[in-house]
Amino acid sequence: MRLSYKWLGEYVDLSGITPEELAERMTTAGLEVEGIEPMAQGTKLVIGEVMECEDIPDTHLHATKTRIGDGPEDLKDIVCGAPNCRKGLKVIVAQVGAELPGGVISAKPVRGHSSNGMLCSLNELGVDKKYLEQKQIDGIEELPADAPVGETDVLGYLGLDDTILDVSLTPNRADCSSMWNMAKEVGAILHREVKWPDYEGQADIGEEGGFKVASETEGCTCFYGKVVNHVKVGPSPKWMVDYLHAAGMNSINNVVDISNYVMLETGQPLHYYNLAKLPAREITVKDDIHMTMTALDGVEFEIQPGDLVITTGGEPTGIAGIMGGEESMIDESTTAIFIEAARFNHVNVRRTSIRLNLITEAAQRFTKGLEPLSMAKAVDRSVMLLKEYADASGFEKTVIAGDPSYEPRVVKETLTHCNTLLGTEFTMDQVKEVLTWLDFKPEISGDEITCHIPSYRTDIERPADIDEEVIRLIGFDSLKGTLPYMAATVGRLSPAQTGRRTIRETLRSYGLREIVTYTLVSQDYIDNAYQPSGEAVALAMPMSEARKYIRTSLINSVLECVQYNEAHQNTDACLFEISKVYGGQAEQERLAIVLDGNLIEDRLHNIHAKGDFYAMKAIIMEMLHKLGFAGGRIQIKENSTDTEHFHPYRSAEVYMDRKLLGVFGEVHPAYAAKFDLGRVVYAEFVIDSLFETKPGKLRFEAIDRYPSVSRDIALVVQSDVTAEKIMNVIHKTGRKLVRKMEVFDVYEGEHVAEGYKSVALRIVYQAADHTLKDEEISQMHASILDALSKQLKAQLRA
Amino acid sequence: MDDKIEVVRSEALDAIAAAQSMDELQQVRIQYLGKKGSIQALMGVMKSLSKEEKPAFGQKVNLCKQEVTDAVAQRQKQLEAKELAARLVEEKIDITLPGDNITTGSMHPLFMIQQQLEDLFIGMGYKVAEGPELEQDHYNFELANIPKDHPARDMQDTFYVDPNTLLRTHTTAMQMRELEKAKGQTPIKLICPGKVYRRDDDDATHSHQFMQCEGLVVGENVTLADLKGTLEFMANRMFGEGRTIRFRPSYFPFTEPSVEVDVSCPFCNGKGCSVCKGSGWIEILGAGMVHPHVLEMNGFDSEKCSGFAFGVGLERVAMLKYGIDDIRNFYTNDLRFLKNFDRFD
Repeated sequence: MRLSYKWLGEYVDLSGITPEELAERMTTAGLEVEGIEPMAQGTKLVIGEVMECEDIPDTHLHATKTRIGDGPEDLKDIVCGAPNCRKGLKVIVAQVGAELPGGVISAKPVRGHSSNGMLCSLNELGVDKKYLEQKQIDGIEELPADAPVGETDVLGYLGLDDTILDVSLTPNRADCSSMWNMAKEVGAILHREVKWPDYEGQADIGEEGGFKVASETEGCTCFYGKVVNHVKVGPSPKWMVDYLHAAGMNSINNVVDISNYVMLETGQPLHYYNLAKLPAREITVKDDIHMTMTALDGVEFEIQPGDLVITTGGEPTGIAGIMGGEESMIDESTTAIFIEAARFNHVNVRRTSIRLNLITEAAQRFTKGLEPLSMAKAVDRSVMLLKEYADASGFEKTVIAGDPSYEPRVVKETLTHCNTLLGTEFTMDQVKEVLTWLDFKPEISGDEITCHIPSYRTDIERPADIDEEVIRLIGFDSLKGTLPYMAATVGRLSPAQTGRRTIRETLRSYGLREIVTYTLVSQDYIDNAYQPSGEAVALAMPMSEARKYIRTSLINSVLECVQYNEAHQNTDACLFEISKVYGGQAEQERLAIVLDGNLIEDRLHNIHAKGDFYAMKAIIMEMLHKLGFAGGRIQIKENSTDTEHFHPYRSAEVYMDRKLLGVFGEVHPAYAAKFDLGRVVYAEFVIDSLFETKPGKLRFEAIDRYPSVSRDIALVVQSDVTAEKIMNVIHKTGRKLVRKMEVFDVYEGEHVAEGYKSVALRIVYQAADHTLKDEEISQMHASILDALSKQLKAQLRA
Repeated sequence: MDDKIEVVRSEALDAIAAAQSMDELQQVRIQYLGKKGSIQALMGVMKSLSKEEKPAFGQKVNLCKQEVTDAVAQRQKQLEAKELAARLVEEKIDITLPGDNITTGSMHPLFMIQQQLEDLFIGMGYKVAEGPELEQDHYNFELANIPKDHPARDMQDTFYVDPNTLLRTHTTAMQMRELEKAKGQTPIKLICPGKVYRRDDDDATHSHQFMQCEGLVVGENVTLADLKGTLEFMANRMFGEGRTIRFRPSYFPFTEPSVEVDVSCPFCNGKGCSVCKGSGWIEILGAGMVHPHVLEMNGFDSEKCSGFAFGVGLERVAMLKYGIDDIRNFYTNDLRFLKNFDRFD
């Protein structure tokens, strides 16, 4: 909110406190001041009178002689370009050396005419254009004929000698958007007395007039109405206009201004109706109307059931708490008014104002909540000001619908509990002082403090609320940091958290980089998901088509990231992401790995590791091994799951304990092309089960004591005989003595018949309990070759 | 005859000394010490000597042989050393060429920060809680003391799926789940890191998706001072030793009292600089004492126990700590950005 320093000073003595100091103190106490700005700025200003004004030929300029005092040297030559500059005008003169928001005024000739100063518009003094009329923006400011020439306190004369604090109010302190309540808060911060105008009981005048008010909805629990049969509409007093400007509102006329001014003072939105335009002497609040209506600014709105509507004589006339109807607007012809001060439910007002996009000042105040006594305060204060500034008379008795009763709230706290919650050692005197300045009227009885909460502090409900007041006003600097003193707890990661760390560490050790991409994706990414986790969850109100659904797989986000990097000449993007995906309400955790280009590329030292299918396989197997899943628990099968995203002959399925984990392999060229990518290898796994399944135990395996012997063989087999088949035969046949085997070459082409391939293996023989003899090895080797020949038609390569 | 020995000896020693390579030395060795060598030839002369002369002569020849053999061995050592030295020179490499281009990868900076926080709090006995990102309104708002149509809901514009389901707007939702799970039993000490979502247009400082880490401690006599001490500890770990923190009053529906927490600027040590906009302080997180109503809604006796909670934005911490100026960097995943985080911190 915009807080006028000068206006605040009407209620609380600010002498000796600069706006900057006030801002600092308020911020420390929880009312954050986000900015400080003067209403207007300018040094060396003086009120002058244009004595002569001659047009300078062929220009829009005028050469003036402007008097700024009575002395002979006070008649200044000043050139002015404003269209409204004329002889006899009282003006604001910025003298040579004056510092204005736009710069410093210097004496320099214009078109051969000397010019010693500038005649100013308010805009040139820094007044925001939105508070000025067009003629005030186009020309210089025209001061009243009685403006005192020679007066140097020009900003004071204009009522612009004010500073605005931009205060950011937290939702619990909406009460401070009332100037009166803000003054109370500032008084408590500064320890200074606060005086409100003597408003109480001012509306207790008038005779019964027969005007009826009623509420037919729970959305309006209380409605104050008051008829004023005579008002005189005219301009507002200058101080009121200045304060409205300071608060960011425009002046309309005295009556409308009073309604706004009282709202700013008390926080209670008011609506004044032109009594003559009300078709009946009756107002009813309803919430069951469906129609179209025209509001104050001429725009039409659709009213639905649930919207609170003001009706009179059965006809809607305004949207309660948001906007009045055009018909009953106050204008120059208004001679009698009806004052409305009501309590409309914040939920109804909030919903209606959001739906109709009518975020008015009144609506915001209702939405943030009002205090119970604000209606009475506002009516009282209205009567007081209308009498004084709008010649109001002919008051009728205030009519009230609903229950205006109010029970002051009492909150009890103990000093012990306060200090225990805060971890402080405040004395009763310290606490009492704070609560007294807050007007909580504390009553002390032993350790107990009984607080009588002022009506406007609706946020104070519990002992903890009292404690917060105490610490924020004494200051948090008094707090010494300690660590909780309590029963010991064990801090540790869950199996899933440890597992994720293992995955991250393993993948990182291969040179992969972790990425985080957005959860929300487009329809296209949902339609083209890899093994979607379920039906995609759509947002009710997405911000854009690109962020419409919660993703059901990671493939598209990750490939998009590779595409981005390729487009930015970032080659060799080997990346991974761990993220949740959702199908229906079911959550799944997934791991995506992508290899684009090389894992290692070093031409100088001639080291190359392509990011191909086999690199991905190694990475995945090692990751599973690191997690404790290896050997027979893991199976690699041909991919029959997804040949839309994957190359049908260069991809594989991975199973753990016979459950599908995911697919890895080259991305299908047609799909890769969608992301402008060439050969790229991708893997996507559901990893929840990895964290829920028991991993194998880490066991030490004894170091071999007897020497091993290795034999290399080169076999020629049909092309479709897989390495796995060959190794299975060797493994089964040589079970006891084959320690390990390694495929070290696979070859197809020249010197090998069409449809065949050559596979070279090294078999390592070893026994756990003795040194192998030559004949033992030869015998075993021969039977292996025999088995290979019989089972796989494998021939030794010549 | 002695002269002959002397001649052979002297020639041999000269030849040995003159040998410049192992090959040459081998030649010399054969020439003098071989079966057909000069020294063996001297032995042949012995036949022509008298019986009396033979022993003395033989002894002298043997001495000569020994001397030459020793000289060969010594020269061999010299030559080997020389050849080794020469080989080493030949093997000189350019140590300024780069090492093999074998590098390890990198963690995402957000998870780097998350892990630092996890390790810090695990050390203090906290567990790390997890919960769903697709959350019920009940946990995200209702239990957190933000009923429907509460103005505080405007503070966090929400992605709803249906009236009861949403993408969580804060990790507070997890705190509520944990509180409910605890069924009124204390102590509770946990942190809950994770992704959260709000309806914000993405720009340099806003992101519709971001990460938070919240902390929650509930027990008997947990105080606001405990919150301050805990956060001081955290500030020192995350932003360097010597950091101090300050509390400013604030408002969150789920805490009372509520505070904004500033850390003394790690860039200027609190003197005032461009990062802290001259104030010497940087706002890093929100915190407070768990609202008694929140405790009660979750089945705790607010008379008997109290708690504190805090929540920090991981992007905010990473941006401050590493000088990152645009939040979108975290989600664009440009390799040039990611490569910055290939070390420990």
